[in-house]
Amino acid sequence: MEKQRHPAFQGGRSIKPGGVYWLRYIIPALLVYGVFMAYPMIDSVRLSLYEGTTGVRQFVGFANYVRLFTDEVVSKRFWNAFGNNWIFFAYHMILQNALGILFAAILTNRTMKGRGFYQTLIFIPCTIAVLVTGYLFKLMMNPVWAGTTLKNAGLGFLVRPWLGDRGTALSCVSLVSVWQWVGIPTMMFVAAFQGIPDELIEAADIEGSNAWQTFWRIRVPMIMPVVGMVAIMTFVNNFNAFDVVFSMETLDGAPDYATDLIGTLFYRYGIAGQHPVGIPEPGVGAAISTTIFAMLLCGVLPTLRATQGKE
Amino acid sequence: MKKLLAVLLAVLICALPMAAMAEDVTLTMGSWRTDDAEQVGALLAKYEELTGVKIVFEPTTSTQYNATLRLQLDNGTGPDLFYSRSYSTGAELCEAGFNVVCNDIPGVKENFTESALSAFTDSEGHVFAVPFAAVSHFVYYNKAIFEEQGIEVPTTFEEFLDVCQKLKDAGITPLSNGIAANWDILECVLLGMVPNYITAEERPAYETGEKKMNDETWVKIYEDFAKLVPYLPEGFASIDNDNANVMFGLGQSAMLIDGSWSYGTLAGDDYDIDIGFFSIPAPEGAAAGFSLHPDFGIAGNAASEHPEEVKAFLEWLASPEGAKIAAEVIPAGFLPMINADVAPEGGIVAEMNAVGEGKNADMRFIWAAMMDLYTPMVEQLNAICRGEATPQEAADAIAALWK
Repeated sequence: MEKQRHPAFQGGRSIKPGGVYWLRYIIPALLVYGVFMAYPMIDSVRLSLYEGTTGVRQFVGFANYVRLFTDEVVSKRFWNAFGNNWIFFAYHMILQNALGILFAAILTNRTMKGRGFYQTLIFIPCTIAVLVTGYLFKLMMNPVWAGTTLKNAGLGFLVRPWLGDRGTALSCVSLVSVWQWVGIPTMMFVAAFQGIPDELIEAADIEGSNAWQTFWRIRVPMIMPVVGMVAIMTFVNNFNAFDVVFSMETLDGAPDYATDLIGTLFYRYGIAGQHPVGIPEPGVGAAISTTIFAMLLCGVLPTLRATQGKE
Repeated sequence: MKKLLAVLLAVLICALPMAAMAEDVTLTMGSWRTDDAEQVGALLAKYEELTGVKIVFEPTTSTQYNATLRLQLDNGTGPDLFYSRSYSTGAELCEAGFNVVCNDIPGVKENFTESALSAFTDSEGHVFAVPFAAVSHFVYYNKAIFEEQGIEVPTTFEEFLDVCQKLKDAGITPLSNGIAANWDILECVLLGMVPNYITAEERPAYETGEKKMNDETWVKIYEDFAKLVPYLPEGFASIDNDNANVMFGLGQSAMLIDGSWSYGTLAGDDYDIDIGFFSIPAPEGAAAGFSLHPDFGIAGNAASEHPEEVKAFLEWLASPEGAKIAAEVIPAGFLPMINADVAPEGGIVAEMNAVGEGKNADMRFIWAAMMDLYTPMVEQLNAICRGEATPQEAADAIAALWK
């Protein structure tokens, strides 16, 4: 039987499979990506090799990187922010994503009532501006403004300068961020759990698997690709975090740099300059962002391979 | 007749855009004083009345101002006129070529003292802004609380501590200052105290390194500072400058050490308290000092599209006539810097100047030459407040950074 061709593929101007015919379809996206994402990124790598703020920038090779890693003050701040960022990330990775899976498992349970209501409730914080939630929590954690209310409620032991104490500030900021964003992984896990065919769960039931076994042996392995995606998103977002510290503490990462993240450090060096003189060093800022970009890449690629590359 | 009409019409058509152009000069003014939009607006309205040049006030949050202005100037979108910080912070922009150099603007050299100009002159001798206002640092007190407790305004540092203790014993928070903002504890409290210990004449010896930053005097300053710590509010570690102001304004503390610029808000409609102020008292036997700090000038943007109008405005500000109008409307707590009698009689400016009368005035100690010590000093003060460093250790740490 002769092969039937679609009318669109008949005549001299037909698109022949093979060649680079697909290129024309991705050109628009490639242009947008290239101009607005790739070019600025590459330019920022270039900027990290230059010195000076205005007018003629001078090429200085790797001097900015040398300064970043050897200058006593700059390197101390960098590694401090780097360490803080890992703690910040750990809170999200462990707490936020575990809560996400837990909430999703509960929400997708077949006997669950009022799912839509709880789902909305968990997701609402994600829709509020970080500056708003940050500021509200800042007031709530302040002994001056919340102290009287807490003492009257018999919770006097909670009256502490949570955000002013080096030991608790970073944890508090992280927890506020976890509270705010837990809805995102929850939604993603809900979608993933719903994607598991019912027959699989039913078959497991018939085979005598209990809920615990079904969860660990069937449901979790089935959503591994989503777990990987969530992990990468958490990783990338956390190393780019800035707003929550900005709204709850100062750009110095008060108290005493305890909440200084890579994002705030970059802003201070690259854009604002150190208060009060405020002479920015875009080169050093770019060196910080380039270093972090390389680190993110090293973290993202293996994770992608481990969780996404099996199909 | 028709011809005449046509000519008239043609003239009108030609004249309209010209008239529009003449009116069209609108300048923008950048500032970090979001609180003052109304008062500065009044000043600018008066200027528009006089000259027809409209100036729009576009303030940015104080802590974001330097960064924002820098970015704007870098990208050629800077305001035509802008508030300029004194000393190195302002000079640095001029050295990058952003400022209209004011040396030749009539009135600048004639109407300001050498010391006022020095705060707005860069390393190459360029005057980068017309000096505008100086600030001071005060202890604000709640008159009602003082009266209730039978407390008199203290005249020595020792009396000041007694007052704090008395208030604390009565269950009242003496001071509402905190350390969360990372600037006011240094700029208002510590540097507000320094003129009581080191005069303007003695300062250069520290700048050149002839005297050490951990000599007896400095250790004494840190020691006296440390004596204030027990009188800070509970949880002072998370109290920033705004919190401190609100606490004092709501009557939750009896005193607040803050800049003169806060007077307008504290005495204004936001709060229902009757306040007074005094200079941070000197220790017994020491000559009283007065912290009088050149705070800001008005600078012109060298890249402005209306250079003539910008210069004209700066010239007006540098003239006694302009400065007098400015002095009438600028917000309470900013002291005019022009070398002419412009302060309205009986006003708050006169009252503030009176507090400093007969005292050794000096600016914030580190501003002229030691700005690199700013962040380390904030860190050391935080450490003293948290009980993690003794005054001697703090002084040693700072001295190690200044050779």
